[in-house]
Amino acid sequence: MFASLIHPRVLTALALLLAGSGLSVTAWQGPASAMLVPRIVLTIWCAMALAVLIGELIRRVPVKNVTLTPLPLLMAVVLIAAIATASLGFLLPALPLVALTLWLFRIRRPLPLVLGTIVIGGGLWFLFHHVLMIRLPALLTNGVI
Amino acid sequence: MDVILAAVGDAFTWQALLAIVIGTWAGIIIGGLPGLGSVVGLTIFLPFTFGMDVITSMALLIGVYCGSVYGGSITAILINTPGTPQSAATVFDGYPMTQQGRVDEALGWATFASFFGGVLSCVLLIFCAPQLAKFAVNFGSIEVFALVCLAMLCIVGISRGSLLKGLVCGMMGFFFSMVGSDPITGADRFTFGTYALSSGLDLIPVVVGAFALSEVFVRFSARDEEATTIPEARLRFPSLREIGRRLVELLRGSFIGSFVGALPGTGAAAAAFISYAAAQKLSPRRANLGKGEPDGIIASESSNNAVTGSAFIPTLALGIPGDVVTAMMMGAMVIHGITPGVRLMADQAQTVYTLFVVLIIVNVAMLILSKPSIGLFRYLFKLPLGFVMGGIVMFSFIGAVSVRGNPLDLVVAALTGILAYVLRRSGYPLAPLVIGMVLGPALESSLRRGLLISRGDFLSFFTHSGIATTLFVLIGLFLIWTIVGGVIEWRAKVIRTRREASSAQPASEQGIMHDHH
Amino acid sequence: MKSLRYSLATLALIGTTHAAVAADNLEIIVPFAAGGATDIVARSFEPTFSQQLGVTSVVRNVAGASATVGTAEVANSEGNPNIIGYEPAGALTIQPSLKKLPYGPDSFTYICRTVSNPMFLMVSKASDITSFKQLVEESRDQPFLYGSSGPGTLPHLAMAATVVNSDLKAEHIPYSGSGPAMNALAGNEIQIMADTETILENYDLRPLAVFADHRVEGYDDVPTVEELGLPALDFAVWQGVVAPKGISDERARQYAEACKATVESDKFQSFADKAKAGIAYLGPDDFKAFVQKRFEANKQVLKDAGLAP
Repeated sequence: MFASLIHPRVLTALALLLAGSGLSVTAWQGPASAMLVPRIVLTIWCAMALAVLIGELIRRVPVKNVTLTPLPLLMAVVLIAAIATASLGFLLPALPLVALTLWLFRIRRPLPLVLGTIVIGGGLWFLFHHVLMIRLPALLTNGVI
Repeated sequence: MDVILAAVGDAFTWQALLAIVIGTWAGIIIGGLPGLGSVVGLTIFLPFTFGMDVITSMALLIGVYCGSVYGGSITAILINTPGTPQSAATVFDGYPMTQQGRVDEALGWATFASFFGGVLSCVLLIFCAPQLAKFAVNFGSIEVFALVCLAMLCIVGISRGSLLKGLVCGMMGFFFSMVGSDPITGADRFTFGTYALSSGLDLIPVVVGAFALSEVFVRFSARDEEATTIPEARLRFPSLREIGRRLVELLRGSFIGSFVGALPGTGAAAAAFISYAAAQKLSPRRANLGKGEPDGIIASESSNNAVTGSAFIPTLALGIPGDVVTAMMMGAMVIHGITPGVRLMADQAQTVYTLFVVLIIVNVAMLILSKPSIGLFRYLFKLPLGFVMGGIVMFSFIGAVSVRGNPLDLVVAALTGILAYVLRRSGYPLAPLVIGMVLGPALESSLRRGLLISRGDFLSFFTHSGIATTLFVLIGLFLIWTIVGGVIEWRAKVIRTRREASSAQPASEQGIMHDHH
Repeated sequence: MKSLRYSLATLALIGTTHAAVAADNLEIIVPFAAGGATDIVARSFEPTFSQQLGVTSVVRNVAGASATVGTAEVANSEGNPNIIGYEPAGALTIQPSLKKLPYGPDSFTYICRTVSNPMFLMVSKASDITSFKQLVEESRDQPFLYGSSGPGTLPHLAMAATVVNSDLKAEHIPYSGSGPAMNALAGNEIQIMADTETILENYDLRPLAVFADHRVEGYDDVPTVEELGLPALDFAVWQGVVAPKGISDERARQYAEACKATVESDKFQSFADKAKAGIAYLGPDDFKAFVQKRFEANKQVLKDAGLAP
């Protein structure tokens, strides 16, 4: 029983059910008029998530072989770069993000890696920020970087 | 007649034609890049229009708008990532066709359907703008509520096989749209006391995360497999015979798009979903929808491009912008001293007719420029996978952060990307999430407004007007149809499994049974 | 392909030259999406303004949460001499009373007010109501519905104040903007709306009263609300320029001078004429006092109408 609980699909369904229930608590505490539709939506959410959870427990799709991949690393870097942009501006977090993406996607020779990072990271930033004047978040107060 | 001739003369100046070519081409490319869509495209080009005359600047902006709505379908078909939310419904059949090696056919249908929808809506715009505008006025909050409910039901259709999971995702998208200020009372909802959340979640960052970033993650897991290479983009236009065979689909999609576009406050993404839902019930080849059927692409692309024309109906005839994009266009008109409103047709007929002519030229330009644009994407996607993925990540970031200029939107995109990856791995369809987020706000505010108008009496919605009653009856029929269909399918399945269990059948016969199913 | 490469090279060149002069770069925050009514005035204001200051400027649209996100961005840039905000009335004088925001009316260095348009109370021309008195009479049997461009916006406040201060019976239905509200008015879903002359002219509506202390030129037969026996209600859609706190007096003076010169320039005036934006310049001190006064007045209205504690 316990082994089937840590199946990824079961965990996902469980997480969705818990998230839905947690939000429902907030919805039922709020004012009736503003929370009318959220209450309906979250109720459907929870009911469906519960049904999905039961379905996953009954069906038990065999677990695929879990191999260690650097995917969580890529996800973490994307998330960190996104958070850092608010305080560091767009360019500084973008360069390591692009470099790491290229590296993880098997572009490892120094020249393509460096050139790719500069063109995709720096070039696109320059195009939008300075040429097209679509201002991206900046580090310095005068907006140059 | 003189007015129309003069209008044609105004539209065929070299400045206007140049603006159309530049605008349309840039629009297709911007639309095709995941993350960048119509709004970013128009924001880029808006400052350039200040020094131009009215027709040239409108030609540029209309080109960018129409081009970007079409361009979104290119990446939707090629890499399973809609370039803009408007093309989210194109993915359902576009990407399966690509996997079957029918890229050229898929792109051909997407291009032709976009052209067809765009031109048909222009024709409607020229001949019945005032009538359509008058009819659209009859769509009050209660009628819109009924229409959006009908559209929401397409969640049922597109999450085939995992209806429950589709509904969870639909509700999740609906919930995302409710974070922030309540549209009726203005009170903050689900912000948990943080100011940063009070501006709510924008559609673009969520779509960028759910499709573009999660696609990067999915391709990352399979980066060493042969199957992840992006097929070469080619374009083959359908022959006249094929068009004839699917003419009804083209017409239905275009009419739905034209009509939805004429209603204020809906937009191209909603039109595409409604049209797709209609195709699921009415197309003669509906059994194949979602498995790589051109009818699905036609339903989505003809309707979203038909919106580009008809969205001008409320804008020009009543001065009411149909969506964010037409609101920006209206702003551009005001800069040049044209004030859209009820008297525009009477006071400045020539300018209005010139805009109609420009719209038609833009659609023709789109058809011609589709080939070089797809060529450019072929060139880009030939690069090693790493560069393509790095580029998608960058464009996703730029698109997410520039849509409202809010760095928090980047965090939203990144988190949605991770969430979407987990959901995809567990077999949840993601399109309902977008549908929930696109239609949710319209559904909620029209319901709440309707309740205010009817003073809390929900039952009176059904008898509010002829249009409302008709729409609610349609919803009822749809539900009955779906339930009865489901029961029949379930019984067939039960009988089949029973037969399979009792007697060993030849494998070939089983295959046929599956096809029927 | 070749032509594309050339154009890319040219673009890059333009970019470099641009970056070289961009050292003194002014950011003008507009708290709405590009192309909106406020954005358009801001974008017409920007070229002359930056020319007067002798800097390069960029309009940055920071939209969301009833324009408070962009406004908060200006307030949070304390001491930054390279950022100003082109602000609408609501974000400065209504929103701070409605919810907890990271700024208040004291969080800015006020530069100038640029334009202001008085609001009218209006009904559809298809209706047979021709005076405010008749409107009040007819609302006794069946309360009317009035629209607005959203909860806590000026159209909402103006009508809420009218309902509180008169015998008019009407209830509020908010829409997502003036456009959708006009569609509802055309379909008779709502009957009353308060908005500016632009809306009045574009949609061919009938004005019944004006929310100003004197009659408005061009609408000489439209009475002010005070003439109708209500307290003097003053509601106008205005815009102004603010800078963050903590900038030097020298910089503030430069901004103020540039703003005055811009508002008086032919270019801006001819634009304002076309866009029906009424130029109404106020200098730094007057503008500050004006915002403070409007803030207090709106707070009172919100309290009276039960919209804020």
